[in-house]
This record gives sequence, structure tokens and C-alpha cells, in this order.
Amino acid sequence: MLFPTIEFAVFFAVVFPITWLLNAHYTWKKVFLVAASYYFYAAWRPEFTLLLLVSSVFNYGAALLIDRFKGRARLAVLWAAVAANLGLLGYFKYYNFFAASLMNAFAAFGVKVGIGFIEVALPIAISFLTFHALSYIIDVYRRVLAPTRSLLDIMFYIGFFPHLIAGPIVRANKFLVQTVGPRDPANIRLGQSVFLILGGLFKKVVIANYLSTGFVDGVFRDPAANSSLDLIFGMYAYALQIYCDFSAYTDIAIGIANLLGYEFPQNFNYPYRAVSVQDFWRRWHMSLSSWLRDYLYMPLGGSKFGTLATCRNIMITMALGGLWHGASWAFLIWGSLHGLALVIERLLGVTGEHGAKKRGTFATVLGWLVTTQFVCLAWVFFRAPSTDAWLGYFATMFSGRSWSTSMTPFVAAICVLGALSHILPPRWFVTLEKRYDEASLPVKVLVPFVVIYLISVAAPAGIAPFIYFQF
Amino acid sequence: MKHTNPTEFERPHPMGELRTAAIVIYATLMLLAVTIPQSVVNWLADMNGNPVEETALRGAEVLRNLSQRAGVATGYQRARDIFIAISGVEPD
Repeated sequence: MLFPTIEFAVFFAVVFPITWLLNAHYTWKKVFLVAASYYFYAAWRPEFTLLLLVSSVFNYGAALLIDRFKGRARLAVLWAAVAANLGLLGYFKYYNFFAASLMNAFAAFGVKVGIGFIEVALPIAISFLTFHALSYIIDVYRRVLAPTRSLLDIMFYIGFFPHLIAGPIVRANKFLVQTVGPRDPANIRLGQSVFLILGGLFKKVVIANYLSTGFVDGVFRDPAANSSLDLIFGMYAYALQIYCDFSAYTDIAIGIANLLGYEFPQNFNYPYRAVSVQDFWRRWHMSLSSWLRDYLYMPLGGSKFGTLATCRNIMITMALGGLWHGASWAFLIWGSLHGLALVIERLLGVTGEHGAKKRGTFATVLGWLVTTQFVCLAWVFFRAPSTDAWLGYFATMFSGRSWSTSMTPFVAAICVLGALSHILPPRWFVTLEKRYDEASLPVKVLVPFVVIYLISVAAPAGIAPFIYFQF
Repeated sequence: MKHTNPTEFERPHPMGELRTAAIVIYATLMLLAVTIPQSVVNWLADMNGNPVEETALRGAEVLRNLSQRAGVATGYQRARDIFIAISGVEPD
């Protein structure tokens, strides 16, 4: 069930009033929201709701066990629980990749090893589900959070439909406190939620979809058949597409959760305004980067043990972060490239936005230019389906062969619209939300109606799934 | 003198917020169903066709016919035709 569909609109139109009618009876409200979330998930593959249930029950029990033990036994239970979660993720997502890589490695030395592949569909959102589960048990281990005695709360936390498929990754300690009693309707920020949802619909349905079908898919399908200029445009267009696609999903998720009375963290903050790669990761998929920092980089030692260890920890974190996106060498290279860039920045003393501001306008502009080019180039690894594909893409792009373009004026206009999402000052959006909140009721109704109507007028015939669904 | 938290005055009535949100959601969906009725018909027609869906489909068709007779639904098609002509995207 995709957000920008009639099916989801009807689903939400049913869920919204029942959620608030049950608000005072919050246990029943949670039962209802868990049932609704499982129904939402079952819309893809009903059998995988069992995975959701098993993960919730397992991590609920694991957290209680972790809490019961002390010292090494406590750590042992944590490791067992983490291994089980990662094992499940590994089985579905990485088994075939590692099996193929192992066979290729042996084959390089002339040794023939037969490892059977498994034929199993990848459960949608399994990575997000695992990250939520790990956040819970690790926080319990660290005593940041007391384990909940309610299995229902864990089922609700892991399965809540707005964040279930593609985030944002909500921390257990931030979400579970919201489940202990009725939610206050005064927490609904209508203007902000409406604009997040409308902006998300526009970014996904109009910008991301047209960039994908109108240009990006074509140039990445057969790079050799395109001019160098088209491949350069394709690289930037994909950078806009993936931003508009992914940020659209999480914006809509945050807006929907707020309409139901729940708070989710911000996930994007104008990432292509970043003036360093470090700054980029503070603005792009913020809930993932902070997760990786707190649950991977810091446990590895963070920056506490000298420069060499810090660089190693950055590389491990970013390489695994890349691999999290998918079982392929291209994702590993993408993550490692970002890791390498972060290491170089650290060695050169380049820090985030604050440091850049101190260095003046020229350094800031230069930092932005270098960061943007690096991030866009790295996206090619992310988008190309195979090693041959990205090799072919770069070979043709840098060959300087033909400087004509097949980009239509319409796609160029869509690119400009996508870029405007970063060019327009943030305060304009804040003012719009404020004006909306102060407007009369008919205006409050007319704004979303007119915007969705216009989006429908301009929408392509079908809506492609969100890019991050595969992760 | 009794001190009162000023935020109590500023805070909007909670049920008022909820009521406004509900009106915005349902009025928007109703307006969209009336002005783009064919999309609801198409969506229901793609379903399996159990008795409930069949009834909903008949209801959606009645709404579409009424909307077309009143001239409300034609605006969408005209706007779509203009968009296709300007943008050069392929027609549905």
C-alpha cells in the first residue's frame, strides 16, 4: 500500500477517527493500531506479517532477559539477541550475495566450491524493522530504557505503519514514552502535517516519478547509448530524484504520525546545502546516520582512541552503512567512498557547517561545490544495477563523447522544480505553515484540495514504488 | 495574587484541533471524490468484486454520473488535456 494512492487514503480515513475515538482507552487504541499496521504490511505479502510478529515477540523477550541479568551474562544475552536479529536480516538479504562472493573468491584461486542459493522473496522493510528492534534491545542493555512489560507496546513500536516501511528510524526511548497514555490532540500541528504531506506527494508523484521515467531510467539502462552530457545530467537528475523520493516518504510518514498524535524525528534537512560530507550526513537520512553513530561508530570506540582508530571506525561504519542499503558491491563501494571522504575531511580538519562558517564565504562555497559533486558522483554507484553498469557509466561520461542532450524541456523544468526544494529559503515554508494555521476553515480545506487536485492533473499514469522500499 | 501559566491561554482547545483536522481530511477527500470521480471508479473496478466492493463501485458510478452531469468532473479532464499538451508527456 503506497502513500500516494486512493487505497491508502481510504485506509487512513478509517484509521484516523477510530484511533482518536479509542484515545481514552489507549490499550484498545494500540490493539487497533497494531492490527491496522499489520493489515498495511500484509498488503504486500501477508505471510511476512509473521516475521513482524516473530521479531516483536523475540525482542520483547530478549529485552526482559537482558534486564534480568548482570555483567557478562547480560552482555551475552545482548550479543545473542543482536546476532539473531542480524542473522534474520542476513538470511533474507545477504545470504545469496555472500554465497556468490565466496564462490567467486575461491574460483579466483582455481577452487570450485558449490554453495546453494536460496530462493526467497526479500521481506519489504526488513532493514528498518531490524534497526528498530536493535535500537530497543541495545537501549535496554545500556539502561537508557527500562524494558516494557507489554508485548503490545513492542508490537506497536516495531510495526507502527507510518515508519514501518521506510522510516524514519524512531528510537525506542523516544517512541515508547508516547505509548503509555492517551495522546493529547493539542499536539496535532495541522499546518506542519498538511504541508509535509502535500510537499511529500508533490515531490514523489510529480518530481521523482517524472525524473525517473522521463530521463534517469533511460540513461542508467544503457549508458553507452547516451551522450556524455546526458550522463552528467542523469547523475544530477538522479540526485534530485532520490532526494525527492525518499524525503517524500518520510515527510508523509511524519505528517501522518502527527495527525494520529505521535511524534517522529526529522529525517532530512536540505542535504544538498551541505558544505562538507560530514555536514551532508547530518542532513541526509538523519535518523539512520544518528543510529549508525550511536549503535555502531560509538561502540567501535568512536574518536576516543586516536586518529588511526577513528579513521578505521569511520570506514567500518560507512562501509556497513552502505551495505545496509543492499547486498551488492556497488553499495559497499558507495558507503566506503563516503567513509573515505569523511576520513580525508577529518585529516584535513574540515568539519561541519559551523567550522565552514568560521572560514568565510569562499571556503563555504568551495565546500558546498566539492561536497555536492562528490555526493552526486557517488550516487552513480547507488543507482547502477551492476559493476559493469557503473564502469560503463563513468567511462562514457568522462569520454567526452557527444555533448548533445535528449533531456526534454519538461524534464528540465522538473529538475528546476526539484532544485527549488533546496533553493527556496526554509523560512518561506515556515511562514506558509503559520499562515495556514491562522487561516479560516474553508481555506484550510481548499489548500490541500487544490494542491492534490493539481498533483493529480500532473501525475504520471502509475506511481512507482519508493526507492527505499527495497532496503 | 494567583499566578496562571500564560500558555494555558495560548493553548488551542485540543478537541478544536482534532475537529479541524477531521474536517480538513474528510472535506478534502470528499471534494476530490466529487471532482475526480473516475479515479474512484477505476480503483474500485480493479478490485476482486466482493459484494461490498460491488456496492461501492455502483455508488462511485452514480457519483461519477452526477458529477459529470453537473459539469464538475469535466474540469479535471480539460486540465489534464492541457497539461499533456504543454508537457508533452504521453497520454494515459
